[in-house]
Amino acid sequence: MIKRYTSMEYKNPDDLVFGKALYPVSGRFGINIGAGFVVPEIKVAPKPGTEKDLETFVEHHKEITTEVLDICLQLGYKNIMIEQEHVFQQTLNPDYAYETALAQVEIAEKYHDEYGIGVLIEHTIADIRKEEEEGGIRGSDRTHRMFDAFEQSSSAGVGSVAIETIGGKEISDYTIGRGDIKGTLFGIGVCGSEDMAWVWPQIVKIATKHGTIPAGDTDCSQANTAMFLAGGLMDREVSHTVAAVIRAIAAAKSLVAVEAGAIGPLKDCGYENPIVKAITGVPICIECTSICACAHIEVMGNLNRATGDVYSNEAVEYHQEFGGSTAEVWTAVTGNAADLSNTALQARQEKILRDLLTYSDMYRDPQGLVLAWPNAWRIGKVITEYGNDPYLRSKYAAIEAGNIIMEAYENKKLKLSRWELDTLNKAMEILNSLTDDADKFIEDCIKEYKNIPLFDPKNYGWTGA
Amino acid sequence: MNGREIGWAIIEGMIAGMRPSVKEEVMDFEKIYTRYNVLEEEKKAGLKPEALIKDMMPSEDPWKTMAYAVFRGDTDTALNELKIALEKYKPQEVVDKGLAPGMNAVTKLYDDGVYYLPQVMLSADTMNTAIQYMEQTIGGKIEKKGKIVMHTAEGDIHDLGKNLAKVFLVSSGWDVIDLGRDVPVDDVVKAVEEIKPLMVTGTALMTTTMTAFPKIAKKLKEKGIEIPFICGGGAVNEDFIDTFDLGIIAKKAHQGPKYAEAALKGMSWEEIRKKRHEIAPI
Ligand code: B12
Repeated sequence: MIKRYTSMEYKNPDDLVFGKALYPVSGRFGINIGAGFVVPEIKVAPKPGTEKDLETFVEHHKEITTEVLDICLQLGYKNIMIEQEHVFQQTLNPDYAYETALAQVEIAEKYHDEYGIGVLIEHTIADIRKEEEEGGIRGSDRTHRMFDAFEQSSSAGVGSVAIETIGGKEISDYTIGRGDIKGTLFGIGVCGSEDMAWVWPQIVKIATKHGTIPAGDTDCSQANTAMFLAGGLMDREVSHTVAAVIRAIAAAKSLVAVEAGAIGPLKDCGYENPIVKAITGVPICIECTSICACAHIEVMGNLNRATGDVYSNEAVEYHQEFGGSTAEVWTAVTGNAADLSNTALQARQEKILRDLLTYSDMYRDPQGLVLAWPNAWRIGKVITEYGNDPYLRSKYAAIEAGNIIMEAYENKKLKLSRWELDTLNKAMEILNSLTDDADKFIEDCIKEYKNIPLFDPKNYGWTGA
Repeated sequence: MNGREIGWAIIEGMIAGMRPSVKEEVMDFEKIYTRYNVLEEEKKAGLKPEALIKDMMPSEDPWKTMAYAVFRGDTDTALNELKIALEKYKPQEVVDKGLAPGMNAVTKLYDDGVYYLPQVMLSADTMNTAIQYMEQTIGGKIEKKGKIVMHTAEGDIHDLGKNLAKVFLVSSGWDVIDLGRDVPVDDVVKAVEEIKPLMVTGTALMTTTMTAFPKIAKKLKEKGIEIPFICGGGAVNEDFIDTFDLGIIAKKAHQGPKYAEAALKGMSWEEIRKKRHEIAPI
């Protein structure tokens, strides 16, 4: 059921550019993604308190959807992706998922019929599984409710479904703050990949049954945790070089969704998406500070816009700004960014804009450097060389990211602090000393990390421990 | 060349041969951005961390070796020293004279912008392993500064911030009762009633879960419990926390021990809230 990638779909890195994917995706309400133009995306977190009863919650979702579509008409946007990232209550209660989806879909249909605007409604189901619950992450009540939410949202007619799985998070939560790269590689590259290989075929089955697009997954729970802790240049929590190496591992993991049948657009929070696009040719949603500062402020500025097919604001809480509600304001921000790229595409100048967006942040930080399109392709290439082995491809992706950073440092393009350099050297030393035998690595890690709170090998199908 | 190296040569060749549509050679990136962290570090280049904390550290053994072992996060050495010391000294003395100074030194360097989080985490791990070892050998608890109940809000599984804050509290000598994540409002209230801690903490990362905090505060007040309720997590800000009694905002994990010390001195939640910038600067 899992089709591993052992070669690159993009043969030439220079073909990687925003708005165009090798395998565009189309769906209900006139939507085409990666088909030669960039689509803006808006995601609004419901106003606190509206979750208290179903009626208020559904009304609020209608309000958000209507405001978004109205502002698209006002500003002349041709397409919009409206993502609803489930709040906890929405995934836990089937009627919350179903009723909000239904309300949004009805409005989308009306606007599409009346004005011809392309609308993609996406529901991202919350991964509400908890390691400590009876049955673990594979068999607890919450596991069943999570899959049921996919069923509910899909059957109500949303265009696509996505998730951000949490497999391996108990390990990486512990190891990232401690600067432990071996444990982080195990948590993301091995445990996370195992969990996705278990979850994703089931998602694909449910979505396909309802004609809904199984879109994608991200490593939000791990690589974004590292990015978050890494913070800005002056923060001192996680080294930025190590966070960049972790991002490369995340690509080897997020790829599993596509290997199990996800077709994109890959979910926005995955900053690793450019790498996965280079490998698979699937369209991607992206975010970076210039369009998502409402949700994340990081050091990637404009960079991911160079390769994205959907530009997302990531998330904003519903409230009023001087320009309008946040639903309106951030639709305008992502819409205008998308139309600059669309203008470049029409003018046949897309590669110039792509490279300007890239250079604007490529040497600001190692985290941007490894996602710049030539480097994203390079890391992808290494992943496919070891494509059949989730552990090895994660390990070598990490090493390749380290090599890329060191080259830029030695060429005096990227400046690094002593701490960034020392932590990178230490991580590379450890990575290079690791075995190439996945079984040995897993056995060793199960022993080494057995005392991490909540870690249970059974959650990943390892019984022999 | 083996197969892998040939692979590399091809990739590198392709990249070198690629002509970006914008020329990198003409650009001066320093005119676009500054990596201030590199500058900042250069300013501190002359500083020797160990010299900065020398005054805080014991000068005689066994305390010296033990304190420096904690300082470096060297658990093996710390345990060895501790086993020897326990033959002569009481566990409490070992904590106060040997372990605690090492931890305090690391925290100071972190607070002063010299050290980084992983260094604090490793020292805290050493400190906690040592304390656990002693508690197991004496079969009882080492005396702590006071009890603190921690939790992550109902419906919220984001527990990273809580866990970080816990590391800072435990390693500075507080007895932490961690209720975990996604903890129902009533469970928090019940635990506080039973445990009677010096303060209680909550973490919420979502705007839909932070609403649990005023509910907890209200129920505690109804029961006549008026302890500081330290509220952290990305979702909250002072505008929200200041709307209900007991609530005090925390933005960084290292503020925890500072608030706890203030509570230990007998300051009320109102005083702590008012003076929070002095008590626990960010
Ligand atoms: C990592 C992450 C996750 C991880 C969590 C891993 C974990 N073990 O915690 C995973 C992937 C599991 C996750 C899941 C979800 N997430 Co999330 N997640 C984040 C992310 C990227 C970073 C949060 C983080 O860990 N920050 C780092 C920690 C250290 O910060 P912190 O907790 O704030 O702690 C600091 C301070 O607050 C303070 N502090 C905290 N507590 C305490 C206590 C004391 C005593 C003291 C002194 C200090 C203190 O100290 C820390 C710094 O030193 C944020 C993005 C954001 N903008 O915040 C989203 C975010 C919080 N998530 C969000 C969402 C929506 C979700 C999901 C619902 C997504 C989904 N649909 O699946 C699920 C939630 C399910 C649930 N029931 O909770 C939204 C929330 C939006 C909203 N409604 O408000 C955010 C804001 C992302 C976004 N922009 O949309 N997430």
